[in-house]
Amino acid sequence: MIGEWVIDGVFIPRVLVVLLLAFVVSLVLRRTLRFFNAYRFIWHAGLFDTAVFVVIAWLIAEAAIGVTSYAIAS
Amino acid sequence: MTPRPHNLAFALANTAAALGALYIAFALDLERPYWAMFTVFIIATPISGAVRSKAVFRLLGTVGGAALALLLVPPLVQSPILLCFTISVWVGICLYYSLLDRTPRSYAFMLAGYTAAIVAFSVVDRPERVFETMVARLEEISLGIICGTIAHSVFFPRNVLTKLNERIERTITASALWIADALTRAPARSDARAHQRLAQVVTELHVLYTHVVFETSEVPRSGGIMRALQDRLAVLAAHLTSVQEALAALREQAPARPSLVRLVKRASRWARMLADSTVIAAEQQQESSPPLDGPDDLTDCNSPLELAIVTRLGRLLKALTESRVLAGALRDPTLQLPSDLQGEIRQRAHRTLHRDRGLALLSACAAAVACLIACVLWIGLSWPEGGVAVQFAAIGCSLAATLDKPSKLISAAALGILMALPFGAIYVFAIFPRIDGFLSLALVLTPALLLLSLMQSSEKLAGIALVLAVAFSGALALQPSYQADFANFINSNTAEIAGLLVANTTMVLFRTIDPRWNAARISRAGWRAIRRLATRGETDAQAWSLTMFDRVGLVMSRLRDEDLPWAAARRIEPLRDLRVGINLTALTELECELPTAARAALRQVLHDVSEAYAQMGSGRDLVIGKLRTSIDEAVNLLTTQSPSPARRSGLAALTLLRLDLAPVVEIQVHQAEAAA
Repeated sequence: MIGEWVIDGVFIPRVLVVLLLAFVVSLVLRRTLRFFNAYRFIWHAGLFDTAVFVVIAWLIAEAAIGVTSYAIAS
Repeated sequence: MTPRPHNLAFALANTAAALGALYIAFALDLERPYWAMFTVFIIATPISGAVRSKAVFRLLGTVGGAALALLLVPPLVQSPILLCFTISVWVGICLYYSLLDRTPRSYAFMLAGYTAAIVAFSVVDRPERVFETMVARLEEISLGIICGTIAHSVFFPRNVLTKLNERIERTITASALWIADALTRAPARSDARAHQRLAQVVTELHVLYTHVVFETSEVPRSGGIMRALQDRLAVLAAHLTSVQEALAALREQAPARPSLVRLVKRASRWARMLADSTVIAAEQQQESSPPLDGPDDLTDCNSPLELAIVTRLGRLLKALTESRVLAGALRDPTLQLPSDLQGEIRQRAHRTLHRDRGLALLSACAAAVACLIACVLWIGLSWPEGGVAVQFAAIGCSLAATLDKPSKLISAAALGILMALPFGAIYVFAIFPRIDGFLSLALVLTPALLLLSLMQSSEKLAGIALVLAVAFSGALALQPSYQADFANFINSNTAEIAGLLVANTTMVLFRTIDPRWNAARISRAGWRAIRRLATRGETDAQAWSLTMFDRVGLVMSRLRDEDLPWAAARRIEPLRDLRVGINLTALTELECELPTAARAALRQVLHDVSEAYAQMGSGRDLVIGKLRTSIDEAVNLLTTQSPSPARRSGLAALTLLRLDLAPVVEIQVHQAEAAA
């Protein structure tokens, strides 16, 4: 199972925190890209954003809890 | 109906999303996976921005409602009456706020209302589990939302801007042709419907544009351009009718001068040229904008009328031309706009539609009462499934509250549930016992889901498809282990229908509204708005115009052709109110450029207009004598001024005000002489 953090007796799954964090980061990234009008060079923005979100989520998970070595394997 | 490719793509994406949500829900061992499934259907629309905005608002609303249930259920569960009362009132309050906002944002409030009812009433028999139930509902709903959003943003998304641009294009072309036509003929009865259509389109643009913020990232956000465009479109009809009226008044006195006739013809040709979207280029706009030099000598009595015609004609064509330019900029964000437009777009401003507090309150009361009645039935009959009835009473009232005839939708929903029942029964009692595992479940569900999704992709069938999809998923009540209980199946489904019947009855009792009466109310709200404008309670004239133009659409769509004499007798004419508002704004704007005596006269006019509208609002007979004198005095004072743009626009506004509010044509003959 993916680990959980306990905050004041409430179990919060780490993956939820990671995903929320990734969402915020991708939101900021999207804003930045839009500000520089970068989406003109991107073929399918919906797909791109989804993919970027997945990548960011994986990066954060890897950095914070080491997903590949621990959470998914076990 | 042969499905077009994009409809088919939508249906496939939606089916994939529903099955995906179902699969994940089963894999996570959630309590009611079918909730995830029908959430996918609820947020599905063929436009990606609409899906995404609905997803956000639904999530917010659900969190809010669930949080309230968590707050209320534990302390109040021992006193069911109090709990029922609080939840019902909460449903009403949320519905009230949701009805005040007519954009998609309202969805969040509405959901906060009935989600509280759904969560609270499904846990009252085991209150210790309220937290788990709440979390389960939230998980299922967010799962459905996320699956739906991803599917509709990744698989063949169609963005809302494309649709908006198409509609704007068509609207401007139609308006240009109509203006070109209307300038050269007498006012016709069909004009009122043209105004109504334009007003409805402008309102629709406003509502649709709220989705753009949520669109996939490649869609440019240009709220400023859209706002400026709405402002232009909102005044077209008012300026056009001003010109028409002034022309008619002029013709009654004497045949129009050949130069004026030529000017109007030229304007009409210009409008017809604008109907072709390809002509618009910035240099063209400067090169051949129609000459607006009006007669500035007031030697003959027709001059104020001519002045009014020329000024308003100029503003009409300017608005039309600019809306063409702005529509182009909305399509292609790299387009350079003229500097004055650019400045306007950068401003931060907010536009709102007409708000109907009274009707919102009435609907909110109806919803609260419906919930209470269902609660009384539930407790009084000790009916085990009564909670479901209360939930459906809340849902039915909330969803139907925006409509003029809510009972139609609610009975359609009840019918939909009845129709979905046999299908659900076939699945639950004939098919499900024979299958095992998710793969076979997906296989047997796919045809039904595909069909429902396909129905949702067509505008006409979307409503009934949604009802069918939700009822179908509810009837299946897919749960991790197969449990077919015929008594339970019938019990919960009858409860749903009973809840909707209660909703229907209360809505019929509370909300059976004569559309004419409603039109009169909206019109009166417009009169109050005029008074705010006249007394400077309202300063943003453009925001005011948009709200007023929205009222034109609302009022006219509630009046049938045979109601028009009735409306005229009650002085219900929202377009006139918009014109009056525009003229009042013109007067307030130039006030500071005039000497003190003229300023006082203008202030008197504003005051008298406000008085006249107060009289109209209170239903007394209109005494226009005072207004007429004050307008004439102001006209006299202005005629003695030296020619200036301020004087021209002031005279035009005063003349048009007089035409609208104190229509006596033989104006100014002796006064002009007296002044000279």
